[in-house]
Amino acid sequence: MSAGPYNYSYIFKYIIIGDMGVGKSCLLHQFTEKKFMADCPHTIGVEFGTRIIEVAGQKIKLQIWDTAGQERFRAVTRSYYRGAAGALLVYDITRRSTYNHLSSWLSDARNLTNPNTVIFLIGNKSDLEAQRDVTYEEAKQFADENELLFIEASAKTGDNVEDAFLETAKKIYQNIQDGSLDLNAAESGVQHKPLQPGRNQPQNQPNPTKEGCAC
Amino acid sequence: MESLIANLQAQLPSGHRIVTISFSLKHSFSLEAGLVQEWIRTNRLLVLVENSTESALLIYIVSKNVADEFSLERTIPLDTEFKCEIDTASANIVTTDIFLKLSRKKVHLLFEMLPGFKANKFVDEVVKASEVANKKRAPPNFSWLEVYNPQLVWESTTGSDSEQPTSAATELQPSSQNCHDAIPAHLNHKSDSELSSPDVTAHRSSIATGGATPIAARESVVRYQMALRETAYTDLRQISIFLGTYNVNGQPPTSGLADWLSVDKDPPDIYAVGFQELDLSKEAFLFNETPREEEWLRAVIRGLHPKGKYRKVKLVRLVGMMLIVFIQEKHWAYVRGVASEFVGTGLMGKMGNKGGVAIRLDLHNSSLCFVNSHLAAHTEEVERRNQDYLDICNRLVFSTTFPSKAIKDHDQVFWIGDLNYRLSGDLDLLRVKDLLDQSNYQALLQYDQFRAQHAARKIFVGYQEGPILFRPSYKYDPGTDNWDTSEKNRAPAWCDRCLWKGDNVQFKEYRSHPGLRMSDHKPVSCLLECGVKIIDTVRYRRIYEEVMKKLDKLENEFLPQVSVDSTEINFGNVAFNEGATKILTVANTGQVPVQYEFIKKHRDSKYCKPWLACEPYTGFLMPGDNSYITLEILVDKRTAWSLNSGLDELYDILVLHLDGGKDIFITVSGNYQKSCFGCSIEALIQMHQPIAQVAPETVCQLEKAAYPSIDPGNDSDSKQPVLAVPKELWFLLDELYRRGMDTPGLFEQPGLSTEIAAIRKTLDESLPDTLPGSVHSVAESLLIFLETLKEPIIPFSLTQKALDGCGAFPSCKTVYSCLPLSHQHVFKHIISFLKEVLLHSSKNGLDAKTLVALFGSALIRLPPPNYPLGPSISLSLNQPHLDRKRCMFIHHFLVNDLDD
Repeated sequence: MSAGPYNYSYIFKYIIIGDMGVGKSCLLHQFTEKKFMADCPHTIGVEFGTRIIEVAGQKIKLQIWDTAGQERFRAVTRSYYRGAAGALLVYDITRRSTYNHLSSWLSDARNLTNPNTVIFLIGNKSDLEAQRDVTYEEAKQFADENELLFIEASAKTGDNVEDAFLETAKKIYQNIQDGSLDLNAAESGVQHKPLQPGRNQPQNQPNPTKEGCAC
Repeated sequence: MESLIANLQAQLPSGHRIVTISFSLKHSFSLEAGLVQEWIRTNRLLVLVENSTESALLIYIVSKNVADEFSLERTIPLDTEFKCEIDTASANIVTTDIFLKLSRKKVHLLFEMLPGFKANKFVDEVVKASEVANKKRAPPNFSWLEVYNPQLVWESTTGSDSEQPTSAATELQPSSQNCHDAIPAHLNHKSDSELSSPDVTAHRSSIATGGATPIAARESVVRYQMALRETAYTDLRQISIFLGTYNVNGQPPTSGLADWLSVDKDPPDIYAVGFQELDLSKEAFLFNETPREEEWLRAVIRGLHPKGKYRKVKLVRLVGMMLIVFIQEKHWAYVRGVASEFVGTGLMGKMGNKGGVAIRLDLHNSSLCFVNSHLAAHTEEVERRNQDYLDICNRLVFSTTFPSKAIKDHDQVFWIGDLNYRLSGDLDLLRVKDLLDQSNYQALLQYDQFRAQHAARKIFVGYQEGPILFRPSYKYDPGTDNWDTSEKNRAPAWCDRCLWKGDNVQFKEYRSHPGLRMSDHKPVSCLLECGVKIIDTVRYRRIYEEVMKKLDKLENEFLPQVSVDSTEINFGNVAFNEGATKILTVANTGQVPVQYEFIKKHRDSKYCKPWLACEPYTGFLMPGDNSYITLEILVDKRTAWSLNSGLDELYDILVLHLDGGKDIFITVSGNYQKSCFGCSIEALIQMHQPIAQVAPETVCQLEKAAYPSIDPGNDSDSKQPVLAVPKELWFLLDELYRRGMDTPGLFEQPGLSTEIAAIRKTLDESLPDTLPGSVHSVAESLLIFLETLKEPIIPFSLTQKALDGCGAFPSCKTVYSCLPLSHQHVFKHIISFLKEVLLHSSKNGLDAKTLVALFGSALIRLPPPNYPLGPSISLSLNQPHLDRKRCMFIHHFLVNDLDD
């Protein structure tokens, strides 16, 4: 067990993006609190959540930014993409329009994050099978074509929610391990915390990513 | 701090003296129906108070609102059960806060203090007081604390609880309960209303009012929480422990020990075998060396139960006192942290002929401690024996473990040895032997010094002993079972005893072994069944994750949280130069102080549009507090044109950022009433209707067309006939021609802002025959109109030329000829108006100098900072210089004729 004061060795910054009402905040809440928020108000701004997870024996602190989905806030929420190590791109499987807008969200994500940002596509509301408007297959194809990780999940039942957040972290961690994500690069979205001061860590720490849009 | 102490002291009964106090945060889980709900930290005031030789801690709940309002939560007597330690496990890492662990019996409390001199002093004093309590010889009597806590009866300090295990059941409630159980009656008189209803909800908002990092040293908190919930993830495994004690009177092992060590059917899991007077020689005493150690060790090994396979855990010896612990091979893998220590209490309180030796170990998740002691001899030396016992308790510390542990810091303690307590001296020896012949031990045990001292709680508080159903182990003629016949003729006594302390210990056997006749003592043994805590890794993992999850949840709850009363602020109709304000209420609904700030959006230079201002735009909010932010909207000459032209709109999204937390978007909007003020001449001369009747898009088009550089695509020069001058200018000048020429103080006396607003409204909405308001308001409106034109009459591109050429009329006239046609018209109109005004100067009192000063700054303006100037143009003028040149330029036109 790590004896450090931080209790975790990495911080990953995540953003959650996608149309209004696809369940971004509910996914975050389900992930951090293991509860479904039935009457979740629209996010007017950017919510913030955190949880410590474990990947390959390493404790990782996730800092998750849940953005407002309303179109009128789009210009503002773009400020928050910077420095994200993971982006959860969410649509609602019962509303095709939210799926149709994916390419626009995706291009924002591609343009505003660094090339190594792991983008995970989540088809939310998988519990509403009867109202399904987007098939798994076509979304899967979209994901494959754009090289996205993909899963269908339900913030209501909790199905696959954990997986989406954890798989994203695993992929980021893998990128760190194989060297494709350079921690020293600006805006990598990852902070490395030393286990113990002065032990098995070089003195010069990678620049901590600046939080949020304190531009 | 001093006055606070004095204030508190005044409320305490006389004789109770406050030693020191400290503010701290208490960590606890709140319990609901026995389930851990959440982990919280609440403010507490710790007060160390002493009464004659005893000390206690008073723990006060600190009221959230009133700084010096406290209610007593609990009292903790500093007795031998009290433990106080700094959470040292986190001391080697970078953490600023001091974690103080206080425990007494089943009460465990964790306090967090800000580091520094005060905290150090406080901890010092508490430790000192607790040491005093441990060394104290008089029985503890904490009845003086009852005054604080009439409802709760303190654990009986005088009654005999020694034969009743787990007296702790009557203890205080567990720490985890969020209790307000003890409101002291004598404090209540101060203010019933304030104290009688402790603010149960207060902790939610008062938590962490001091700390920016509420989750400091999370690791130690996790460890602490796991310790609290130990029973949930540990199972008890029964192991049998054989305790044996034998005073061998310096004799070598001449016969086997099996009759002592392996008389039971099943082999015990653990042996703890203690000897006293192993070697009475001078060499042993002075040099602590003896061949007997090896001899007796071999004898013990030979005597261990033949069905068990044993491993020696440790051997420790001090002169004649030796303790050996064996464990069955199968348990060896679960043994950790083996250590031994000894304390001599003999001559000068140091020599090793008397004292104690001890071995400790962790077996699975339980800590066990075995002590073998030889206390002072002779019937009358009861107090010496008591003191020896206390000395061993206080001085014996296992320093090789981390953190170091005293005897009492173990889950289970087993204490054996020749304690040397006798039958009290006033008993006739013949009577003793008589009773012994009848096997009437109970009658004799009434005279047992140990039982008397134990019942008086002078020694072995909390320890238990099995029922004594065997003959005294002392004193026999060696080699026989006969009572001492030597000339000393010692009375028989139960000198050799086995005791234990701790939970989950079951008594099995307690006996002596008269068959061993080497010594003048008989060996004694005790067989116990002990529950050892074994971690169930599956449940441990689950509970660990629960604790982690709880902390995650907590961490999320400790994020700054505010709510705003509105995220949509609409100012409705907004008119030119008429400000409006709205109040935004920001409430700290979270549990930590919040630093909020309106922050700039990506690429913006300011947190809001230039027509908006927030006061204050940053602030600090304590939990439960509100902040009122004034949003002021004002469209003036700087911003009017961009709104008229549609380059901007009354719509902005403000980002209210919480330091270390979320952002809230506040949408601000309004409906700008387009006005002729803040337009361009080019657009105005194309509007034949009042601007309010022109479609807003048309206004935008006209304005954009006037500046093709801004919107090159919009070059639709509608061939509508244009007005010579903006009709609004004409109305203003006409009004002044008709009403103002002879008015004294014209252009010098200010107008009224309400009248100016009415004039503007009239011009925006109608083609008036006459304008409302006084002449002065009309005159000021004229100046404002000229000043707010998108481009001044002398356009920015000609400003430099005009100022450079102000020395002579011909060069000024050249500038005039360079003006766009519409500007020429307006300029001409204004010049002739000014000339007319001067003709009436006898009435209106104006002179040319004042007039050119007023109009100079309206007609010639410096370009805005971001105006694209040509490379040759440099407008570096100081203000008086600039003013003078502007006046000179205008003045030339007043004294010369343009048409010349």
